Amino acid sequence: MRFWEIGKRNLKEIYRDPVILGFLLGMPIAFMLVFCSAFGGEHASPISMSIVDEDRSPTSSAFVQCLGSTEAIELSEPIYTEKFQAQEDLENGKIPFYLLIPSGFEEARQTQSPISLELAYKEADPMIGLQVKPVIEAIGSKFWGISSPLNVALRGTESKIKNETVNFFAPGIAVFGLMILIATGSMIIAADREKGFLARMLTTPTRPWDFILGYSLPFIPVLIISTLIYLGVGMAMGLTIVGNLGHAFLIFFLIGLCSIGIAMIVGTLLKSESQSPICWVFIVPLAMISGAWFSVEGMPSAIKSFAEALPFIHAIDASRSVINGASFSAIIPDFYWLIGWAVVLFAAGIVLFRSRMAS
Amino acid sequence: MNAVQTLKLIREFNGLVAVNGIDLQIKKGELFSLLGPNGAGKTTTIKMLCCLLKPTRGTASILGYDITQEPFKVKELIGVSPQDTVLSERLNCWENLSLVGKVHGIESKELKRRSWELLETMGLTERSKDRVGKFSGGMKRRLSIAMAMVHEPEVLFLDEPTLGLDPQARKAVWEYIAQLKGKKTILLTTHYMEEADFLSDRIGIIDEGNIVALGTSEELKTNLLKMRNMVISAENLTTKIIKDLQSKYSRVEEINGGLKISHKDLDFKEIVDYLHSRGVTIYSAALEQPTLEDVFIQVTGKRLRD
Repeated sequence: MRFWEIGKRNLKEIYRDPVILGFLLGMPIAFMLVFCSAFGGEHASPISMSIVDEDRSPTSSAFVQCLGSTEAIELSEPIYTEKFQAQEDLENGKIPFYLLIPSGFEEARQTQSPISLELAYKEADPMIGLQVKPVIEAIGSKFWGISSPLNVALRGTESKIKNETVNFFAPGIAVFGLMILIATGSMIIAADREKGFLARMLTTPTRPWDFILGYSLPFIPVLIISTLIYLGVGMAMGLTIVGNLGHAFLIFFLIGLCSIGIAMIVGTLLKSESQSPICWVFIVPLAMISGAWFSVEGMPSAIKSFAEALPFIHAIDASRSVINGASFSAIIPDFYWLIGWAVVLFAAGIVLFRSRMAS
Repeated sequence: MNAVQTLKLIREFNGLVAVNGIDLQIKKGELFSLLGPNGAGKTTTIKMLCCLLKPTRGTASILGYDITQEPFKVKELIGVSPQDTVLSERLNCWENLSLVGKVHGIESKELKRRSWELLETMGLTERSKDRVGKFSGGMKRRLSIAMAMVHEPEVLFLDEPTLGLDPQARKAVWEYIAQLKGKKTILLTTHYMEEADFLSDRIGIIDEGNIVALGTSEELKTNLLKMRNMVISAENLTTKIIKDLQSKYSRVEEINGGLKISHKDLDFKEIVDYLHSRGVTIYSAALEQPTLEDVFIQVTGKRLRD
């Protein structure tokens, strides 16, 4: 159990270092408090939503009623029946955005075939669309899964969501916070490598696996505690978890593993004086193109494709969906993507760490 | 069987030869010092013997175990105190010792006994619960040596154990190392002549990756050199007089207010007479025993601090 001893030492180095501890645990709390106070809370104003109901059927009317039942959304009058009217008002700045229910909506529901809703918003204010999209998706998902006639129970379910802004920001903050593990983890590895601690331990009868486990396992409790803090502070600030909490935790755990894998790679390759600025140069832009603060929808396709190839956007999307009520089956593609990245990054970290030690 | 044995040990870094075919035989219980300037190849030699670096060519063994074929076994037998006092600064004395002891598989009860014993020997008992980040350089050195010894290794490598310490702390570390003499096989590297002189059973002078002289301190000074030093305090020493002396004797150095002349079978009277004949006023003249530095200069042609 040599890895256990190395792991214990590293855990002590983490929790006895106020700077590292502050980064790992203090920043999550600070971020969550700042963002949730700024954008959330019980007194957050409902968002005014305009509807274009091209279907004009009993089903589409019921769906509109469902949308209006959430505390976060206030339906604007009148309900448009023609798209061009709403589009004109949007372009003239009379409404911030509108949701188009296309004709064929009722029929599609009866035949259980897919249908697309269109959410149109001003390009200058992409946040509106981002905030509302998960709510509409959650309501749409529930609505689609219930057989007619529609009933009141549906409204009750959806009205659980109290503060969509917090539900939007909290997953982004959590994933960004877990990306901090890259900076702190790599800092510890790089410092031990340069100061000669790793070399000293290499003169003892330890195997490469002892080092790999000894340097990765201590971050698991840190990862669990960080995630619990994110979720706990978020809930205290109004985060409403409609879906399965365990699924949300699993998503955060996987992105945390990805971060630890990256930390092993960075800590193995870079010198301690350069790793910290380099980490931040990557972490902040990665968070930005991962949808933590802004939508990737309006970004150039190359950047969007790049972001979608990385694990972070999948973690944010999946956790937002789960928090807003999506079932596990709805996030399976994101889940597999995260598993794949976690395995690849961890394996790369192990290979590099081993080869560096051997040299 | 020798505790440490090397045969034509060579290590190159991108074509640069750091260790150039070293042959060493260190007996069990012997304290052997590698004396040499920075960059002579001392640390590289130790790193190879500790299995941290693979030799480019040649072989070495610790208690019969080849360093490249059986590194795991070698690591079980050795203790290393590196040149930089590598400690976990946020761990206390006890925890640092415990870490090394446990990775060597020492049982908790036995580890506790050994740790207390070592902390007492090293004079660290009262600070055992303090984080080592607050320690002085001397205390860190002592703890570093204790960490190298906690698993009671057969062979101890001490790489520059007093580097950067003040004279008082250095003396304290010397005393601790001296206590180990005869109990452990110790390979110590240093560029302090007094350290090698005071501690070692045998000394190997290393320069540019080669062992250029080998023996006990006395052997090196007497058998190898057979040289005597004469230190003269005088006035009216001209450049011409000094040049005349330099042409006749092995080494003539200007020192503060006088000369130091080194030569085999040096004739005291002959020098005094020569200086008088040239009108030099001699205040004092004395014969001195050669030092290891004299040996070093003799075998390498340069000063140790160069």
